[in-house]
Amino acid sequence: MNRNRKHIVLVGFVLLFGIGIGIGSTFIIKVPEFSKATLKTTQKVFEAGDRIVLDFNLKNGVEALLFLKSSFGSTVISSTEGKFIIPNHFCKRRGVLSYILRQNSKILYKGSVIINAKSNSEIALQTYIGPPSIVAGGKDYTMHIVVPTDVYDNPLPDSTTVTFRHQFLDIEKEKDMYTKNLIAWKNIFSYNSSGKLQLSSEVSNTNSKESSVQIFPALPQDFQIFSSQEHKYADGNQIIEFTTEILKDEFDNLISDGTLVTFIIKNSKGILLQSRGTVVNGQATANMLHPDYKDSWEVKAFIHGVSESNTLHLSFKEVLKDFDVDISSDGRKIEVGPLLSYMKQLIPDGAVVKLEIYKQDRLIDTKVKTSLNGKVKFDLIEGFYSAGNYEFRVIALGVQKVLKNIIVQ
Amino acid sequence: MTGFNTNIYRFLIISSFITFIIVVLFGISQTLTYLNTDADRSSMLHLALNKEKLYVPKVTWKDTMNPGRSIEKQVMIDIEEDYLNAWYVSNIAYQDNKLEGVDNYYTTSALQNIHTIIQDNSSRDISIHSTTINHNLTLDFYSADGQLAIITDSDVKEYQYVYQEDNLLFEIEEKSDYQALMLLEDGYWRIRHLIKKENNRQDIHKKSNGYTKVIRYRIYVDNKEYQIKGINYYPQKTPWDMFGNDYDINLIKEDFDMIKAAGLNTIRIFVPYHAFGKEQVAIEQLKKLRQVLDEAKAHNLMAIVTLFDFYGDYSVLNWTLTHRHAEQIVSSLKDHKGILAWDIKNEPNLDFDSRGKENVVGWLKEMILQIKQYDPNHLITIGWSDVESSAILKEEVDIVSFHYYQDIDDFDDDFLELDIKIDKPLILQEFGLSSNWSFWNVFGATEKNQAEYHQQFQKKISEKKIHYLSWTLYDFKNVPSSVVGKLPWRKHKQKHFGFIDKHGKKKKSFKHISN
Repeated sequence: MNRNRKHIVLVGFVLLFGIGIGIGSTFIIKVPEFSKATLKTTQKVFEAGDRIVLDFNLKNGVEALLFLKSSFGSTVISSTEGKFIIPNHFCKRRGVLSYILRQNSKILYKGSVIINAKSNSEIALQTYIGPPSIVAGGKDYTMHIVVPTDVYDNPLPDSTTVTFRHQFLDIEKEKDMYTKNLIAWKNIFSYNSSGKLQLSSEVSNTNSKESSVQIFPALPQDFQIFSSQEHKYADGNQIIEFTTEILKDEFDNLISDGTLVTFIIKNSKGILLQSRGTVVNGQATANMLHPDYKDSWEVKAFIHGVSESNTLHLSFKEVLKDFDVDISSDGRKIEVGPLLSYMKQLIPDGAVVKLEIYKQDRLIDTKVKTSLNGKVKFDLIEGFYSAGNYEFRVIALGVQKVLKNIIVQ
Repeated sequence: MTGFNTNIYRFLIISSFITFIIVVLFGISQTLTYLNTDADRSSMLHLALNKEKLYVPKVTWKDTMNPGRSIEKQVMIDIEEDYLNAWYVSNIAYQDNKLEGVDNYYTTSALQNIHTIIQDNSSRDISIHSTTINHNLTLDFYSADGQLAIITDSDVKEYQYVYQEDNLLFEIEEKSDYQALMLLEDGYWRIRHLIKKENNRQDIHKKSNGYTKVIRYRIYVDNKEYQIKGINYYPQKTPWDMFGNDYDINLIKEDFDMIKAAGLNTIRIFVPYHAFGKEQVAIEQLKKLRQVLDEAKAHNLMAIVTLFDFYGDYSVLNWTLTHRHAEQIVSSLKDHKGILAWDIKNEPNLDFDSRGKENVVGWLKEMILQIKQYDPNHLITIGWSDVESSAILKEEVDIVSFHYYQDIDDFDDDFLELDIKIDKPLILQEFGLSSNWSFWNVFGATEKNQAEYHQQFQKKISEKKIHYLSWTLYDFKNVPSSVVGKLPWRKHKQKHFGFIDKHGKKKKSFKHISN
């Protein structure tokens, strides 16, 4: 009991002491001047376009400044009554509008209001579609993105419903998606046939314009090639034409115009010749001049890195077996011909005739000329070819004639 | 005589003809050059734009996972660059109330928003100087065709100084989140929508490893109490250019031997901002600094490293350049055991008049936060040039430094006043007397006066147990004009503060270099 009483006295002293210090310190602490403002406006959330007035309890008559910061920038407005009318362009912008109040170089209040996009307003649909062309077959896709905005160009809040529609041939589809991170989006995969895909979207009865995406055919399959020619003679004059069959992808779509087809020709000497053609209406054609000597060809076409054709085998017959060579008495004028073709007609102008000149078994010169009216004339001019014993070899259309021991004077 | 005259005329006519031809040809060639220079094909794609970096807030990509398409590294770089440029050009626009360049980084409809605000601000003569300190980017969406991206930028720290008719109205530091929808147009990623969001997250402070710390009035290094007895140090041959071309670690080693033998334990060295490469710190310079610090540590000397020497542009828009400078130096030395403190700037209060006090103090305040973020392990101080200024930012720094070149007789009172005001360790970071007495300067102090001055000061210091660093070890032969200006008598004074004269002989004062 005694001990209890002691405790009570002790506790009493401690309490008194505590209160004493408390009072003492309250005397020391100066009562601050009226340095806080209170906000009378209670509304914290607004819609874009609303008139926003921030009303503060303030010492009247002294100009106070309010700093405003919104999504795109900041400004300062002033008031002497504490009633701040937020400028129109700040009221129209979605986002957090933060503000700081200052009076007599003291910061009195910091706060913010939230401005949401205007509901029940005219809606604009910003549409972004890409890529603008895709490949048939269902693997490739285009992305349809819609940013619905209110009348002040503010994106509508998350979870706004956007209806995506598209049409392709006789297919029409529609799906609702919800905006997130400002946008709603949908991937549209290609169909098996090529053609034009039409897209549109809708947000609460506002419809977008029509947009279109081209679906191009997929990669061409392997294909057949054909050749056509006037005759089979190696006259170096006629043209042989190569054609592909109608090129299609695996879904039976015609291959796009302009696809390049390369025809590779391998002759009997192993030399590669090349001719190219582009696809028009599914088919590509390419031409090649007949050889001017007996030859056989292997022809194959490629669309590089994608597909190839069968191999064609072609052979060309020689046009002549023999021809005349006249040498003048001084041995300096050599006349070849007439060169006669397969029907004994004169060979068309331009057939190549080659003269190889040997002296003492050494090739000293080669002359090449083309035929005119079935004939070719060579002149050995005195200054260049001294008198002596020569050997001439004449080669025309794959036939070679050797003339030995010709005395040139 | 006539022949002589004729020759002169002939010479004049011919030479003027040649000159005329040269001028005409030069004119034609210049015209042709001009006509050929325009419409360079590469300019269509603006590939060869001048890419000097002017705006380098800290950017981190937090996440690029998004439902649209995985992003390529190059596109990330492009988006980041153009997004920062958008901030930069709009900062300039609000500063000057002009729209130049803004249309490259905002689409036409988004530009309208900036345009209206600028019109309004400029009609009331409001100008806003602002910068962002950091950006933390998250990719929310990247479209399949690579033409549209949505990013969230969180915890963006912004500084804004609002002026009306050149009066500072507001000085604001704010943290916000933004979401931006960007479109790739004409090779630029342009902002189409920008939405400011609420941000209530708290700053996270890095934890110190406790190597250097302050408990009330005392400094502790490695858990032992540390009393600074130091000296401001430049090598004799390279004052104010310690890390330049004539840098010689062997000379520095010898000096450190001498400093240690003289009974000192601390040096203060200076890192020049421009010579260190500004926002792109030169690696060789950083190596030299590390070498000096290693050597100091090997001599059991701690270093106070003064950053931003010769830096003088505190404009808000260029803050980020200095942040990158500090980041590179400080983060690479954050675990160095030879550093006692980072001294952010030498005598910044001398720039108050020319650069505006609010700019300088704002810059210092943010720089303290920047350095703490990259190096929480070392102390931070600012080398104020007088006692009066040293209370500025006293809450932000760990130790308070001041310089004292006033009359030694006033020191006791000044120090007492400061000691009452500030409850952190006080460092007498510079003091000294120039023994610049000569035939031409009869009012200057003699070497004897200087010795007496230091003796007296050391007495006061040991009585009050003051942390001190005296100015400076050497007399210098040359003082750059950038230090004290071009006036010869000022330069002359600055050459004779040393304890060792220009011939390498210890002056009388050397006896009182420490106590």
